[in-house]
Amino acid sequence: MIARRPRYATVLMYAVLAAYLVFLGFPLLWLLSASFKSSRELNSLSVNLIPIEWDFSNYANALDRQNLVTAFGNSMLVAIVTMIVAVLLSMPMAYALARLKGRLRAAGTVWILISQVFPTILIIIPLFLVLRSLQLNDTLFGLILVYVTFTMPFTLWMLQGYVAAIPPELEEAAEMDGAGRFTILRTVILPLLAPGLVATAMFTFVSAWNEFFLALVLLQSPELYTLPIALRSFLGAEGQTQLGPLAAGAILATIPSLVIFGILQKKLTGGMLAGAVKG
Amino acid sequence: MKRFRGIGAIALAGVAALALAGCQQGSASGGGGEGDGPITLEFQSLSDQPTTQAAVKEIVDQWNTDNPDVQVSIVQGGWDGAYDKLITQFTGGTAPDIIHFEASSIVSFAQDGYLADLNDLVAPDLKSDISQGIWDSVTQDGKIIAYPSTLQSYMVFANADLLAQAGVEVPSGDSMTWDQFEEIAKATTTPEHYGVGWGLKSPTATVMSMALGFDGGFFEGGGADASIDVGDGELAVPGRIHDMAYADKSIDPTSLTQSGSDVLASFYGGKVAMTVQGSFQATNMAKDAPEGLNWVALPPIAGTAGAVQAANPQTYSINVDSPHVQESADFLNFFMSGDNLAKIAYADALIPSSGEARAAVEKLAGDDQAWKQVLASGEGLEGPPFLKVSKYQEWKDTVATPALQQYLADQISKDQLATQLTDGWADVNG
Repeated sequence: MIARRPRYATVLMYAVLAAYLVFLGFPLLWLLSASFKSSRELNSLSVNLIPIEWDFSNYANALDRQNLVTAFGNSMLVAIVTMIVAVLLSMPMAYALARLKGRLRAAGTVWILISQVFPTILIIIPLFLVLRSLQLNDTLFGLILVYVTFTMPFTLWMLQGYVAAIPPELEEAAEMDGAGRFTILRTVILPLLAPGLVATAMFTFVSAWNEFFLALVLLQSPELYTLPIALRSFLGAEGQTQLGPLAAGAILATIPSLVIFGILQKKLTGGMLAGAVKG
Repeated sequence: MKRFRGIGAIALAGVAALALAGCQQGSASGGGGEGDGPITLEFQSLSDQPTTQAAVKEIVDQWNTDNPDVQVSIVQGGWDGAYDKLITQFTGGTAPDIIHFEASSIVSFAQDGYLADLNDLVAPDLKSDISQGIWDSVTQDGKIIAYPSTLQSYMVFANADLLAQAGVEVPSGDSMTWDQFEEIAKATTTPEHYGVGWGLKSPTATVMSMALGFDGGFFEGGGADASIDVGDGELAVPGRIHDMAYADKSIDPTSLTQSGSDVLASFYGGKVAMTVQGSFQATNMAKDAPEGLNWVALPPIAGTAGAVQAANPQTYSINVDSPHVQESADFLNFFMSGDNLAKIAYADALIPSSGEARAAVEKLAGDDQAWKQVLASGEGLEGPPFLKVSKYQEWKDTVATPALQQYLADQISKDQLATQLTDGWADVNG
């Protein structure tokens, strides 16, 4: 019989949870508040969360300037395609990495780790030259290619951990029933890997959605700028920041990430609850 | 399984969308028309204020209307990461024809041979209308590497009511000595507020600029042969700020860790009687200061060598590899004409480099007291020695800024500061 938790413990638990949520959510609340404040209020000593006078012009300014809508579309295209391509490529590779034995696996693992070592700033110029020779500089396709390449080591590492956690006995049982390698991958591994795929997809989407430096250097045409580039242009010389429009733009930029999380989070927890081997 | 088929379909649709939308190269990649027909010059502009962007667009539109054979296309960039972007563009051979930046940041591009020599391309009238001190700031090894456009100076803004409460008369001369400034700061310091709020989170630019008022040039020579000399003149400004903060207690020590913009809230809220800011803040004050705040701009601060500060102008350079150097120069001569430069300077609240543009700004500003002081402070701007030094930027970021931050936080002595600045240069310059 499970002992009932004392009432005060439940209250305390929820209070701690609420405090933690406020702690996590406060920057977002502050951003939301700043997006409705006038420049004068933002430059005053008042620290109220609710604006004294609601100013909606920041949203109009943010949308009017810096090609924010175009940048939004570019970011969405880049992030979604990067997410799909990275996950599709990582899935079979992670399976091979997790299940293969011998030197190839060790070499693959070391290669993945080594590829993570080089700082971006070190390889940006050679990368730019390579893309230029392929006529892929200043294109979203080139940027997606770079994002997929940069996120793959981590997504592979992440996914192979999920694959390794799936008991090999399940595959052996399927094999005994006459299933081939591809059928096992499709009908046994894939459904059990769903939470891992969702987590990897979320990571890839957010990485591509937020990335700034590579996009700044590789894209040269304003009509191809992604959201982080468009938002950074609210920061001017000498640290001058147009805080209101920047906050409004940042709020708009946060919405897709929240939506993606909202959709995928259900699948993530749902997948985790799905059973595999009966004890 | 249906779910995964769905995912597969989305993946295919995504890749198809990519093929359609992503493969197209942007407009900034094509270069400017080499064949028949009009040529197009790429003009990478970093103007960030909406009013300035509008002014730039208006000037470019006017040029394009008047010059159907030489069209100019604005490529809007941002200040953040601009250096990294440009170094990649130069190395990759995709830099635009005309490049907007600032004098201290283009030195290394010039030394690497990426910028055209403008000696024979600048219009003679424009050349004679800009002071030699400002031309010096964009001259490397005898080559003019950019058109200097607008400049900022460091100015003291004061709450006139708090000065009056302290029985201090607002200075009205051509300049104000450091001693006067310190006395006003002490007189206006009360238990309720400090005399000065000075945002020195990144102190090097301010110190290097204002040190010229004490003949503190820091560097001698240029390029890789430059040597450093940190003496009394160089240490005068940080020393005085330090003494005001920790001996007189007339500078809010917290403000020394903040940016200039951060300190404005304290100034607007009456927590400090004066604040030292870039001159461009005059327009932000006009917009953001609470109604009833009686703020004024004080005369430029003068050291023993006068009210001298460093000229580190925003610049317009021409890519040496551009196939249209002459056309780019023709456009920039038009862009820099008095009325055009005045529009940009007025929108950015910066000091225009040419006399004709300053006269035009004076007209635009009318009786505005702050603008009068802003323009007056422009008279003392000179090309500083650090603009000739190859590794200045690296020394600034890795040596000078942390050393000055420590000194202004009262963590090291003045002698230790001098040692760190000198030894740090030896390390950076090899």
